[in-house]
Amino acid sequence: MKGRIYKILGLVLVAYSLVYGLLTEIPNLPIIEQSIRNLFYHVSMWFAMVAMMAASFWNAIRFLGTDSLSKDTRSISLAETGMFFSFMGLFTGMVWAKFTWGAWWTNDPKLNGTAITILIYLAYFVLRNSIDDERKRARVAAVYNIFAFVMMIVFIGILPRMTDSLHPGNGGNPGFNSYDLDNRLRAVFYPAVLGWILVGTWIASLRYRLRVLQS
Amino acid sequence: MHLLARFYRQEVRNSNVLFSLGLYLLGVAYLIYLLTGNNTSDAVWNTLLWVVVFFGTVQLSSRSFEFESEQYFFYYQNIATAKQTIVAKLIFNSLYMIALSGAAWALFSLFFGNPVYSTGLFIIGLLLGAIGFSVVLTLTSGIAQRTKGNATLSAILAIPLLFPVLQLTSALNLQAIVGVELADATNLIGALAALDMGIGLLAYLLFPYLWQD
Repeated sequence: MKGRIYKILGLVLVAYSLVYGLLTEIPNLPIIEQSIRNLFYHVSMWFAMVAMMAASFWNAIRFLGTDSLSKDTRSISLAETGMFFSFMGLFTGMVWAKFTWGAWWTNDPKLNGTAITILIYLAYFVLRNSIDDERKRARVAAVYNIFAFVMMIVFIGILPRMTDSLHPGNGGNPGFNSYDLDNRLRAVFYPAVLGWILVGTWIASLRYRLRVLQS
Repeated sequence: MHLLARFYRQEVRNSNVLFSLGLYLLGVAYLIYLLTGNNTSDAVWNTLLWVVVFFGTVQLSSRSFEFESEQYFFYYQNIATAKQTIVAKLIFNSLYMIALSGAAWALFSLFFGNPVYSTGLFIIGLLLGAIGFSVVLTLTSGIAQRTKGNATLSAILAIPLLFPVLQLTSALNLQAIVGVELADATNLIGALAALDMGIGLLAYLLFPYLWQD
């Protein structure tokens, strides 16, 4: 029962944000207009992705400390789930960009950050596949995971602050408090983030159990 | 110190590596010269320089642990700890990459002229960039070595990780070309230096886990 509470909570929150995100009243902003609703569907993907990658990073550190292979299995399961969210975030963002900026892809720091993140984690999967010995693979992959996560945070969290972005509320600041994130938006956005993180945890735990069964 | 001397001797003994790298630089610089005909803008000059250095360093680093085959791996384990090995490798590779990017700069100046206005700032950018490159590449080629000689893997692992360093370095050097005052560039210098130190420390801490069997 204990394990079910977070799954049910996650599903409820996601369902609430999907439905109520279309119904809630929104601030009337030029250009963005109705597409501001993408905040609930697109931005929450990135929060879920960073949460998954951070958990994967944490498990990689714990693997190096404890040398227990289950930590490594958790780490790869979480990274795969994070990868799924990054693709979802990319697609929802591309659709939004086509209608708001008029192009599927632009040379924007955040988009570059996404591309790099995806390349880094694809390289991580390639690395894992190229080592046969279980323990060695776990150790080498953990080292790369830790290094890569730090680089990713630098790239998506620090560098964009030093350059301009086309994203709403930007111009030196990748946060979004500076634009009109009023309480009506918050009431859907925060539950959406929490809901997707919980659902992501669930997906990762399923993948973890699958891997344990397979081995 | 012993290790540094060893790496140096190894490099001299295999001078064909050095030679092929020099030939690569010369060939690519001349190729660009043929295609653009000596009229690149400053921004393009800077971009091309860093693309050439980028591929040169990736090529160089894929060989960084090449000689550490199984026997060498055990040999190093006997003569030095993992931490000594990584520090020596980092210093050696940094010097190597500083030399490489300096040589690329000299070649570009020869063919396309030297648009750099603040030479001091440019050199700082070159030094910090080369150190950042060498840290990332040393760690990734160490990782690739552990997969038993998968040479392309080193490039696959390193390329996405190099982007932050590359972006900061080229931004800094573009400022040097335009001729920004040193005081106005401290922001970028600080960011790049902090990044170098951060990843250097990380490589130092992580390498011992890699360097064991």
